[in-house]
Amino acid sequence: MATKPSFSTEIANLLYASHGNPLNTCIQCGTCSGTCPVAEFMDQTPRRLIGMINANLKEKVLDCNTYWFCASCYHCTVRCPANIDIAEVMYAIKRYSIWHKQYKEGLVGPVFSETFVKTIVKSGRSYEPVLAPSYMFSFGPKEFFQEAMMATKMMLRGRIPVLPPRIKRLQNFKEVIRRIIPMGGSS
Amino acid sequence: MSEKVGVYICHCGTNIAKTVDVEEVSRWAGEQDSVEVSRDYKFMCSSLGQELIEEDIKEKGLTRVVVASCSPHMHEKTFRTACERGGLNPFLFEMANIREHDSWITEDITMATQKAKALVKAAIERVVHHKPLEPLPVDINPNTLVVGGGIAGISAALELANAGYHVYLVEREPTIGGHMAQLDKTFPTLDCSACILTPKMVEVGQHPNITLLTWSEVEKVDGYLGNFTINVRKKARYVNEETCTGCGICIEKCPYKIVDNVFEAGLGVRKVIYRPFPQAVPKYPVIDKENCVFFQRGKCKACQLFCPTEPNSIDFEQEDEILTFQVGNIILATGYDLFDPTRIPQYGYGRLSNVFTSLEFERMVNAAGPTSGKVVLRDMKSQPESVAIIHCVGSRDKNYNEYCSNVCCMYSLKFAHLIHERLPDAEVYNCYIDMRTPGKGYEEFYHRLLDEDTHFIRGKVAEVTDAARSPDEEGKLVVQVEDTLIGMQRRLPVDMVILSPAMEARYDSRKVSQLFKMGCDFDGFFVERHPKLDPVATMTEGILIAGACQGPKDVPASVAQGSAASARVASLIAQGTVMMEPVRASINEELCSGCRICNNLCPYNAITFHEDQEVSEVITALCQGCGTCVAACPSSAITGAHFTNSQLMSEIEGILWDVKKPELASA
Amino acid sequence: MKKYAYFPGCSLEKLALSYHLSSLETAGKLGVELQELEDWNCCGATTYFHVDQLLAYTLVARNLAMAEKEGLDLVAPCSACYKNAFFTNKYIKEDPDLAEHINFALQEDDLQFNGNLAVRHLIEVFADDVGAAEIKSKVSRPLEGLRIAAYYGCQIVRPRKNSEDVENPQFFEELVTAMGAEPTGFPDRLRCCGGSLIMTSRHAALDMVRKLLQNACDNHADVIATACPLCQVNLECYQQQVNEEFGTNLSIPVLYFTQLLGLALEIPSKSLGIGTELVSAAPIFSRFLEKEVA
Repeated sequence: MATKPSFSTEIANLLYASHGNPLNTCIQCGTCSGTCPVAEFMDQTPRRLIGMINANLKEKVLDCNTYWFCASCYHCTVRCPANIDIAEVMYAIKRYSIWHKQYKEGLVGPVFSETFVKTIVKSGRSYEPVLAPSYMFSFGPKEFFQEAMMATKMMLRGRIPVLPPRIKRLQNFKEVIRRIIPMGGSS
Repeated sequence: MSEKVGVYICHCGTNIAKTVDVEEVSRWAGEQDSVEVSRDYKFMCSSLGQELIEEDIKEKGLTRVVVASCSPHMHEKTFRTACERGGLNPFLFEMANIREHDSWITEDITMATQKAKALVKAAIERVVHHKPLEPLPVDINPNTLVVGGGIAGISAALELANAGYHVYLVEREPTIGGHMAQLDKTFPTLDCSACILTPKMVEVGQHPNITLLTWSEVEKVDGYLGNFTINVRKKARYVNEETCTGCGICIEKCPYKIVDNVFEAGLGVRKVIYRPFPQAVPKYPVIDKENCVFFQRGKCKACQLFCPTEPNSIDFEQEDEILTFQVGNIILATGYDLFDPTRIPQYGYGRLSNVFTSLEFERMVNAAGPTSGKVVLRDMKSQPESVAIIHCVGSRDKNYNEYCSNVCCMYSLKFAHLIHERLPDAEVYNCYIDMRTPGKGYEEFYHRLLDEDTHFIRGKVAEVTDAARSPDEEGKLVVQVEDTLIGMQRRLPVDMVILSPAMEARYDSRKVSQLFKMGCDFDGFFVERHPKLDPVATMTEGILIAGACQGPKDVPASVAQGSAASARVASLIAQGTVMMEPVRASINEELCSGCRICNNLCPYNAITFHEDQEVSEVITALCQGCGTCVAACPSSAITGAHFTNSQLMSEIEGILWDVKKPELASA
Repeated sequence: MKKYAYFPGCSLEKLALSYHLSSLETAGKLGVELQELEDWNCCGATTYFHVDQLLAYTLVARNLAMAEKEGLDLVAPCSACYKNAFFTNKYIKEDPDLAEHINFALQEDDLQFNGNLAVRHLIEVFADDVGAAEIKSKVSRPLEGLRIAAYYGCQIVRPRKNSEDVENPQFFEELVTAMGAEPTGFPDRLRCCGGSLIMTSRHAALDMVRKLLQNACDNHADVIATACPLCQVNLECYQQQVNEEFGTNLSIPVLYFTQLLGLALEIPSKSLGIGTELVSAAPIFSRFLEKEVA
């Protein structure tokens, strides 16, 4: 009889076997959180997030900003005494969160990631100006102004492209993607 | 004449019976050829179970017995003895392991029952080919070799010597005492380490039954239980032990000092001719040839010049000596190495000067140490106002050692106490993953430290850095750690960091295990015969282990193991002879072609060649029954008792009883 | 001349054009041929892995397959591109099932990837394949007295690729020394700059940038050297915002190691893309450029 897998099993299934040891080998030592350069901005430290996954507290896990604040620096991964690939765990929760469209309100990360992906799927390369709306609207007037100022300066120095880049064999590229995501290039 | 076999299937409570249909196996066994009687019983190893065998031998005239139960390691002896009491030669018995090899490794009752039948069938087929054998008596040489003069080796040597047996104690450093001699206090009682250790060292040095060989290493080991031949290299001390009085004038007069990386853990200096510490046993100094100016440049000889003895005790001509002697048993107590914390660069050891190791700190707090017991920073004068002690450095970490190093929590607590004692105003932080204090009086000691206002932070330290982020971090070492009890990253600015590194197997433990022909585990620690019931014996008869060479342990546990190993040896010596399994090779002279292939293959040198008759012969007393020659003999002239070809072939046929023979292609 | 398939990555097209230019210039001078991969596509950065792992691996594999077709090892100057390419290569080699999925998709572009190449970071090629000693011998204008904070960042060294020292690498400092400059102490050299968070978690990222810049300044660095476009943009272009956010007064040029190396090899500063900085590097360059002017 098939039963619905627990949240911790779902997350575990999202990791490739090569991505470190399973989460239940965590000894809650806090090396990850002690190492993390973003820890002070997180609702929950990475260690607690692992504890919460192991306790199947799905709603609480998805509702915190921790995994969207992970900068993918892998410092926790190389230090973890249980060889858990914590950064990859964060990726797994991000994917889970996007697929289930369930994440903390007001976060920019999920929208930014989806916009980024759409850009690449359309042109094969990334193009900063298209990305801007995904995060610019989250800024207050001050940040908006700062960002615009910087963009202008960089534009003047030729560091921001005017036209979006495109790869040549774009049609083939889109077909490649369609074979992975069979719903067409609209993802 | 056909044999009458009795088959007994053990339930082992539910250990076997819950997975193997024991009644079915018993019923089925009763139908097999040669089987006279087949029974199943709850506990075959109980007195009642054994009596079943004895009665059946007497009443039903059994000539062979098979018991299907646990591993022969557990109860082979039990059932052989039962056969003997019933009047049957104990070697006419065979055991089938249907527990470790069957019921414990599956939950599938059908498959387990099927496998049990195969194992029982194999035993039945084998046992009918067994021959009655008589055990071989082996004399036990009453001398014992103890390798390693730390607290475990000292304890072992003294127990045996006090029982009246002679001991050779071999130590590779110039003095006995081991790591314990470096410590200041011992937890949890805070006894002065030297005060409790040195009387024992003196006793070893003066004991008439102990031959103490320091600055020496075992080079070669031959033989077997009861009769080992040992070669020891006694390295040149360049000091004549016959005439030296240990007055120490040579040490005083030696003009050269070097950093002492062994005893003083790099924190202090010693002379080039030296004694590691004042209470060293033996008292004779040793010249460190690598650093001696005379040996390097041919000039100096200050030590010789000032030596007051007649004749002069300094002997630059001295050479290494090889000593050979016989012993009956060997106790290995070779100790441990401290994990090298430079392997964890983020803790800064070797880069940030005020990061210390536990052994450095032990020497520092020791009144006889390089700072006379003062707790100071690397400049050797400023006192720290705050100290962080980091637990689990290189232990409980799959990147280094997975095991818990057992003693670090306790010695880290001890450090905190010693700092409080010496610097009452200093803040002391203990950063730990879990506080492990499972020993008599240990948890109480932890509570004492809680009372002393040590700051306990539950979290494995992420890094130690000198990158200040705020004014209060300027000029400090910053310990970055998650305080897991509040779920917050903290940065602790401190003056001094003490790392508590793991105990590791000696760097050369694998080499040593090969020398003594016994086993090492994955981490390099020596493997005991049974983790619970036989912790000081090894799989090699006559070789025992004690102390930290078997795994991380503290002083009381090392002492207990040293004494336990001695008790094992003493009981063997007291018996005088032990009966060995008669599993030995023998050569059929008729078949031997005299090719001599077996001669050189024998690892025990147990085969001689008779030039006159051109045949080889196995010397039974030396043969260990390994079977190498049996397999190598091109003429099949060598037989291994209890492992004959017919026995093994029948066993194989038995185990494959339900496998169809491949159909022969029609001609 | 050793030849590699060069995968510049999206940032080097414009945002980090100076890295692109200086990489090609310095490589040429050191006898390394970087042949740009034809029609390469985005590696997915970090964000793609947030959405779909298999698709992300496929995107990377397309680039790998094209390099393999050329019979060349792949070199990436961007740390994120490098990490993605390295691990995609590794996982495809280890996991036949993954390889099958990906190759099925790649058929649409007449490509196939068999895992017959190595993935390198540009700085690795300079440090290992060319070597600090060789570079030193080619340096004609040693950057004497220049204090360079060698900034590794994250993904060049992490996660661990083989058995290298991830906590105490030295290759970047060795390159700096080879240029004739002085590597400063820089305890935070392995700390993350927050590059991937700058758009999404701005305050956190700016704080990370602040700490790094502060640490470099505390160690009296004249310039920070990077080997990743994201780190460079983050550490340089956001300095003003950091100052506004935290009331600091940080100002330190951040250059690509290839630009500094180019200077030491006497490549004209224009060819190295000098002049497009938001924090001017002129004070540094003017110290060494007299010869160029003369």
